[in-house]
Amino acid sequence: MSTNPNEVVSFQNVSKVYNTGTIALSQFDLTITEGEFISFLGPSGCGKSTALRMVAGLSEATSGHVQVFGKTPKEIIQKTNDIAFVFQDANLLPWRTVLDNVLLPLELRGSTKKSHKEYAIEVLEMVGLKDYLYAYPRELSGGMKMRVSIARALAAKPKMLLMDEPFAALDEITRQTLQVDLLNIWQKEKTTILFVTHNVYEAVFLSSRIAVMSSRPGKLSSIINVNLPFPRKLQVRTDKTFTDYVDIAAHSLENSSIRRELG
Amino acid sequence: MSTQSVATKKTKIVSDFPQSNEGKIWTKFKGVYLGPIIALITFLSLWQLIPALLGIKPFILPKPTDVLHAAITDWHLLWPAIQITVIESIIGFLLSATIGIFVSILLASSKVLEISIYPYAIILQTIPVVAVAPIIVIWFGAGFNAIVTISFLIGFFPVISNTLMGLNSVDKNMGELFTLYNASKWKKMWKLRIPSAMPYIMAGLKVSCTLSIVGAIVGEYVAGIGGGKGGLGYAITVAAIQLKTPYLFACGIAAALLGIGFYLLVSLVAHLMLRSWHESAMKVEK
Repeated sequence: MSTNPNEVVSFQNVSKVYNTGTIALSQFDLTITEGEFISFLGPSGCGKSTALRMVAGLSEATSGHVQVFGKTPKEIIQKTNDIAFVFQDANLLPWRTVLDNVLLPLELRGSTKKSHKEYAIEVLEMVGLKDYLYAYPRELSGGMKMRVSIARALAAKPKMLLMDEPFAALDEITRQTLQVDLLNIWQKEKTTILFVTHNVYEAVFLSSRIAVMSSRPGKLSSIINVNLPFPRKLQVRTDKTFTDYVDIAAHSLENSSIRRELG
Repeated sequence: MSTQSVATKKTKIVSDFPQSNEGKIWTKFKGVYLGPIIALITFLSLWQLIPALLGIKPFILPKPTDVLHAAITDWHLLWPAIQITVIESIIGFLLSATIGIFVSILLASSKVLEISIYPYAIILQTIPVVAVAPIIVIWFGAGFNAIVTISFLIGFFPVISNTLMGLNSVDKNMGELFTLYNASKWKKMWKLRIPSAMPYIMAGLKVSCTLSIVGAIVGEYVAGIGGGKGGLGYAITVAAIQLKTPYLFACGIAAALLGIGFYLLVSLVAHLMLRSWHESAMKVEK
């Protein structure tokens, strides 16, 4: 099926209808290639989270096919560590220290080797939490908790990182630092990242490609290739090209919602 | 309007600040302990005065000094009775804690089991144990075994209902996280559900520990002593028949102190277990 050898995720004519009758996603087609940073941008109710959850096997398509690394999502999560998920809340276990939280995925996979612990510490160092290994989650700020959550996702060395509005609950300053750090991690680890957001600036700043979606029913309305060179620094935000891309993305969002309202 | 209230708050903080450490202790004492102490002293004085003024006989309402006197003179009876009741209720409590938690985990690990058995657990909970106590005496014989069983039965259901509630109140996202890492049912139980349920379990144990003393005393009322030495419940029965009212009061107060002590002990254990992470065990900082 996979014509492109670098293809890691494919949605083929995927629809999702909830039992309540709500159409979360309708005839969704998209292929994602290895190493991409792709954002799903859209208003709430456009099915962007649903699409992400399908890739993780947490939600099943009503019709159509979702394939991840040439297999079904269920097979992938049962047999491999290839997928990691970062939720909007940091979702840490409050009775475990930062280090033990990061070690959780490895523990659940039944591996508690010493080398893993060293790698977990390395990952925590990468997200800037080296001094908080033995702190408990309640002692951390919201931004730090999210860093732990990202470290936990990276600890199992996934090939793909799924992020569901991870920075939505953070303040703007924390969000910007985390965005820069996330891009650095992405370039260093060469993972594929699928990132759900409703923030246009965030989508343009982070992504190599943006899938703009419209709501009710959730549909893919356009794809934007963001040709801004990496590594990107925060200053990029004042560039003319950056603001042009923001315009394009914003218009694309607007058009899709206008189209919806016109019926 | 709002700026004004901020300003007044500020001045208040400033005026509080230079207070000495000694002053702080006094303020805390005044705010927290002084009221209850005065209330207790007033209560005891009234209790001491009223029977004396109205000429109420000690076997109707003994004065605090009568109670104290009875406790001291009959200490050789009271102390062994307390010990026996303590042992009975501790065994009853430990049984209800271990069996209660174990059964809850078993029920929670299978939806089918839980759906089919939990309703009965609730119905059983509503049966007043006192009502079935004589049956237990028939089954287990008068004395120690029956008393411990009654104590266990009374403390058992709060543990079950709390633990089950805790095991089923796991955060949905956390559950999904465990699913994503393909955690087995038992790993999910050990590493997620049981730790999440800890605050609930501890709340259940706190209820259960005081109930286990009630159970032991009720058990002694019904099951007697079966040839052995009697506990507080038995002492109470005997004292009531002999109209030794001051001693009866001493027994009652001893039972109350026992309950308070047991509760504080279990609360301490709960605090130690939860203090590193759960809000209920943390001091509120303002």
